[in-house]
Amino acid sequence: MAITRIGINYEKCTTPFDCKKCLQVCPQAVFRVVPVKQVKFQETDAKEPGAWRLLVAYGDKCTICDRCLKVCPVNALTITQQ
Amino acid sequence: MCVFCDKYGDGTLWYLNPRNFGRQLYRRTMPGEKYVPDAISYRQDREKLFAAFTKALQEKDTKMVEEYKEKINELYKANEPCQVLPLKDAYKVAELSHPITSMSCVCRKNFRARDERTEHEYSCTGLGVGMLKWERWPERYRGGVHFMDPDGAKEWLKKWDTLGMVHMIMVYGTSTTGGPFVGGICNCDYPDCGPIRHRVDYGLTWNLLKAHYVAAVDYDKCNGCGICAQRCQFGAIKMEITIDKSNIDMFKCFGCGVCETGCPREAISLADRSSFPALREEW
Repeated sequence: MAITRIGINYEKCTTPFDCKKCLQVCPQAVFRVVPVKQVKFQETDAKEPGAWRLLVAYGDKCTICDRCLKVCPVNALTITQQ
Repeated sequence: MCVFCDKYGDGTLWYLNPRNFGRQLYRRTMPGEKYVPDAISYRQDREKLFAAFTKALQEKDTKMVEEYKEKINELYKANEPCQVLPLKDAYKVAELSHPITSMSCVCRKNFRARDERTEHEYSCTGLGVGMLKWERWPERYRGGVHFMDPDGAKEWLKKWDTLGMVHMIMVYGTSTTGGPFVGGICNCDYPDCGPIRHRVDYGLTWNLLKAHYVAAVDYDKCNGCGICAQRCQFGAIKMEITIDKSNIDMFKCFGCGVCETGCPREAISLADRSSFPALREEW
């Protein structure tokens, strides 16, 4: 059974919550964005590099339609199938 | 009557029982005690389980998927049961609860990066004293909340129902009486809603229970326009070409009533789930 893997280069993808292109274009809603930096009584800043992290939440639903690859402005995503 | 009604309902539906709307305002910390609220410690467990679960899904490891599914189901059953409810029941909850507010939706934020900042953008409904915290620290809680009176809340719920969103009752921790604390009415659609997705795609039953109702079509009134099939978020309705009417699979139906409120000819009605012996245990 082929396994689909979505790789994210975190050196290139630094402000996913501000960019949000892949999140909104995915027909299967595979991605998820979470704050990794938490300051008490303050919301995590969307524009701060590294404060938010893009995750693959439902990778098994990916159909490899390549829309996220085309839309990513920094080419941070890779999709491979094994 | 579902399993939560038996436990916490006192003879009525569990989310219409006023006992489940109370929550303590303050908790005194004893000297030297490091207090972690139940809700937070439970959420850490949940995050760990979900990380392992999605990893097993990714690797297509069927055995581990089943194992973690069982664990997550147990956790939800004990902590945060959610249930679909139709608009008429959402109105009753709006009358019972105070304060009632509109607020930003965390699922849409996570899965679609929707940044809701003002009352014109908010798409979730918050209930109870927890909302005062959101009002107090808007810089912490995504722009705060917008308070509504019961009539305003009904209009608000109606607005989302017209758009075709499913209402579900959300639980946040425990109430002062030990039962679940009713903390919100979400307006959700597939696939952006976490609970709907978990239930429909991955079979995490206790993350989202079906409502106490099921929809049925009156074939004399249905003209086969297909609006109900468009509105169904759970894939329970299809157009049956042979008879040119809509067909509802009642085993798949979640009883949200979105098809009922959308039908221009009032051909769909909600019946009690318990009136169908075969559906009594279908939650």
